[in-house]
Amino acid sequence: MNVNYSTFAVAVCCIVLINQPVKAQVNSGESVPDVTRTIALTNAHVIQSPGQIQEQSNVIIRDGLIVAVGPDAAIPFDAIEISADSLTVYAGFIDGLSHTGIPQPRQQPEQERPDDPAFPPNELAGILPHRDVRGLLDPKDKRIASMRESGFTAAHVVPRGRMLPGLGAIILLGGDTPNEMVYRGETSLYAQLSGARRMYPGTDMAVIAKLRQLYRESERRHRVEQLYSENPTGLERPRYDPVHYAMFPVLEGNRPIYFQTDDVLDLHRVLSVQEELGFPAVLTGLSQSFDAIDKLKSANLPLLLTLELPKELRKDKKEPPTDSTKATPTDAPVALPEVMHLDYDPDLRVTSFTDIAIEKENLEARRHMAYKTHVSNAATLEAEGLSFGFSTGGASPSDLLTNVRKMVDEGLSETAALAALTTTPAQILGLTSSMGTVEVGKMGNLVVTKGSIFDEDGEIQYVFVDGRKYDVEPPKKSSGGGGESGANPVGTWSLTISSPDGEIAGTLTISGSDDDWSGTLIVEVDPEAAPLEYIAMTDNVLTFSFNAGGFGTISSSLTLDADSMNGSFDVPNVGPVSVSGTRTSGPEKSTQFYD
Amino acid sequence: MKLKTFFLVALLSVAINSAAQEIPTGDLLVRNATVLTITNGTLENTDVLIQDGIITAVGEQLSASQDVPVIDATGMYVMPGIIDAHSHIGISNVNESSAPVTAQVSVGDVLNPYSIAIYRALAGGVTSSHVMHGSANVIGGQNETIKHRWGLLDPDELRMAGAPRTIKFALGENPTRVHGRGNNKRPASRMGVEYVLRETFAKAQRYQEAWAQYEENAKTNPRAIPPAYNSQLEVMANILSGDILIHCHSYRADEILMLLGVLEDFGVDQITLQHVNEGFKIAPELAEFGATASVFADWWGYKFEVYYSTAYNAAILTRNGVLTSINSDSGELNRHLYHEAAKSQKYGDLSDDEALALITINPAIQLGIGDRIGSIEVGKEGDLAIFDRHPLSVYAINQKTVVDGIVYFDVETDTDDMRLIVDPESTVDTVVLHSHDDTHQCLYEGSLDLYDFLESN
Repeated sequence: MNVNYSTFAVAVCCIVLINQPVKAQVNSGESVPDVTRTIALTNAHVIQSPGQIQEQSNVIIRDGLIVAVGPDAAIPFDAIEISADSLTVYAGFIDGLSHTGIPQPRQQPEQERPDDPAFPPNELAGILPHRDVRGLLDPKDKRIASMRESGFTAAHVVPRGRMLPGLGAIILLGGDTPNEMVYRGETSLYAQLSGARRMYPGTDMAVIAKLRQLYRESERRHRVEQLYSENPTGLERPRYDPVHYAMFPVLEGNRPIYFQTDDVLDLHRVLSVQEELGFPAVLTGLSQSFDAIDKLKSANLPLLLTLELPKELRKDKKEPPTDSTKATPTDAPVALPEVMHLDYDPDLRVTSFTDIAIEKENLEARRHMAYKTHVSNAATLEAEGLSFGFSTGGASPSDLLTNVRKMVDEGLSETAALAALTTTPAQILGLTSSMGTVEVGKMGNLVVTKGSIFDEDGEIQYVFVDGRKYDVEPPKKSSGGGGESGANPVGTWSLTISSPDGEIAGTLTISGSDDDWSGTLIVEVDPEAAPLEYIAMTDNVLTFSFNAGGFGTISSSLTLDADSMNGSFDVPNVGPVSVSGTRTSGPEKSTQFYD
Repeated sequence: MKLKTFFLVALLSVAINSAAQEIPTGDLLVRNATVLTITNGTLENTDVLIQDGIITAVGEQLSASQDVPVIDATGMYVMPGIIDAHSHIGISNVNESSAPVTAQVSVGDVLNPYSIAIYRALAGGVTSSHVMHGSANVIGGQNETIKHRWGLLDPDELRMAGAPRTIKFALGENPTRVHGRGNNKRPASRMGVEYVLRETFAKAQRYQEAWAQYEENAKTNPRAIPPAYNSQLEVMANILSGDILIHCHSYRADEILMLLGVLEDFGVDQITLQHVNEGFKIAPELAEFGATASVFADWWGYKFEVYYSTAYNAAILTRNGVLTSINSDSGELNRHLYHEAAKSQKYGDLSDDEALALITINPAIQLGIGDRIGSIEVGKEGDLAIFDRHPLSVYAINQKTVVDGIVYFDVETDTDDMRLIVDPESTVDTVVLHSHDDTHQCLYEGSLDLYDFLESN
């Protein structure tokens, strides 16, 4: 028998070897097979797992797997050798939850109105627990490459949608076809407190009610299905329906619901309904979890913290001229460049209409304090002994590492940060035997950096996904101007705002220089120029906010590329609205800022 | 295992869990005040002692241990915490306007303890609010009775544990406009409203019967199949069994009589009519049914069905034996409900106690919590408002508001910034002159459909 087994094993190996060139051919997309799939990183500083470091070690990858790690690991004869003397090797990062690989529909399809908004079809109401994300993957989605360039090698991805967008999958951030990217399917059910538009369930409270109904009725159908499968004789046939049946693995405890929480109120609501119904759950988002620490401790659920952080608004050094015209002589000189570091005085009581400047400074300090509280959220969770992984959902790929570094600056330990990028999401997603550490037998998912990933100067050189090497171009440094910013926002820009009601034209005018910007925005529907506030320019990203009357205060973020800009306006109660612009006039030689 | 029993056990365990939550309570001795007990007259130079959140003594020269905080209320007036029987503060959603019947939803699922409107209500001496679903539907969502425990961040800590469940109904223009004219669905007329009520109650009866039959069958047949679970009809069945109290948005006398007829046919005998501007026309009929009324002091004329109104409504209803309260339905008006109550003296000559009962014991009784709050009596919960003058005076300013023996509002420590959470991306100069908490929001969210309708015409 033993002999038979080993013969069988040898036969399997042969088949694998015979198939190998074909597979490599598919992988590379070329007609000529790869010469070798063996890679040796030599003499590297290897962070095997958070806190566990091997100096001057070799890491050998063969056929997509890590086959040796250590100072004495022999370099195979067929290996492509990469000298990593000054480089650090980390396990590839794992994204706990996002829509990576699922492009946003370019134009929202015309909203179909149901015959009866009280009873809309599940597809329109956003109740699709049976929809499989694997059918929605697009290997050409730009986020895949940009996430990989930030060190992410695998991601738990879920469909976009409303209340129950569908089933998640683990994908590798590399590959030429959807099937190649898929590591494992049907890993999770994604849920959010996100109602349908003008049909049931339209509000958060109706989403919660709908979830109760769906869950309790699924429990009943599950029971009926069991009775029928034991013995159908004498029982009316249970009717199949994909929505309730997709809940059965959840009821059985085999499929966790990954529940998105955008703020602390969502968090309380999700925890309440989870406790009531008792489904297996993982909480995602958690951007205000600092305000519900005790409840998170007693719930004891796995946590995936978003890498999205609020934008830091910068106080203008000079008050906008519109204010000074209104100001009385007593409150005119407010120019306090250090205002963001003023202590907030919770006991401040001023007389209305006479000490507005003092009150405003105090509120600015409070807001800055709130910003700090949000950025130190991860450190707070760590200090309270709550373990968490990171998810990139909602965050721009270019912000991911910057935001991790901000969190570390606010007190998150590097060990906890690395665990949140590697081992903890691996545990939550059930991937520990194949991903999350640099150990023999794990997949060849690695991040190779010059300098520490947590240093501002740390740069990713290579990313390996499934043993395949991807070179990462260092981010472009600005060559002209000498300042931090490469592109120059000064000038007049013609904007196109893609609002839900159609495209709106606008004109953006920016003047000034670093840290002393001013500007206005005119949109075609309102000829009055809105003064811009909190204008800042960081790494080619122009941010500002303005008052849009009935819409409230809109904050915007636009990425500049010489003479064009792209980004969004965040409109309260509407969400992000995409904006693009081109320069109509501007600094003499805008191109001098670019290579 | 009987599925229904399973559901009940699950619900019960949730109830026990939330009851097990420790709500902070305090000790407090209020000294030498004029105490407006509401149910036992006005007591001069009187102390009120609260221990562990419960009033344990009302009398002269009370003694308490050294560590009990003392408020010297010499020259001040102490009344029971004001109760607002109709409010929409402290919740994230008001209307689920997508369907004419949404009994299964509950505003209790979307409480928002961060809402500054709760603090502002405390500033007006209001200690409890009946936060309600909106009036876009004939049978709207369930409401929640909350206590204004400002600063406690878990939404469950706002709930007044043990208060009876209540539900919002609505008659007249709002539901017919949203569903009839807005969506071309029933109800498009007042007749349609009655149809929806009768149809839904009849379905609930059939639902009750189906479950009763299943439970009977299951005794002998382990393979009995339970009927489909319907969370909406579960709630409707709870109304039929008297476990959920109806609070119905209503204006016109004819449709109120229609509602009483429907309830009589389905054996429901408890009803509070909200707004009920034409209640004065049918006060004897309301009294005979045992219906209670929750009215505005003098709001009228904001739509056609509210034109036939009188500021004497509260007094007429009271004099005809209808238990009546005055409510705000507004995050602005709730800060001076004591003024609203005082109007019943200008229009109708109610006594001080009768006028104050409109905003204390009467709403408490309507919410099924008259044995717990609404008057200053030994054994009741320690919810107080302390005014510098008699609260029915236009010069009165609330000084301190006490809930469960804890001072949650003090005019001395009312600083500029009482927010509990701050959006780091909000600009400081954002001034909200008109928040949705401040206005009548019976049609909030539901109004989307209204606008559609207006635009399409």
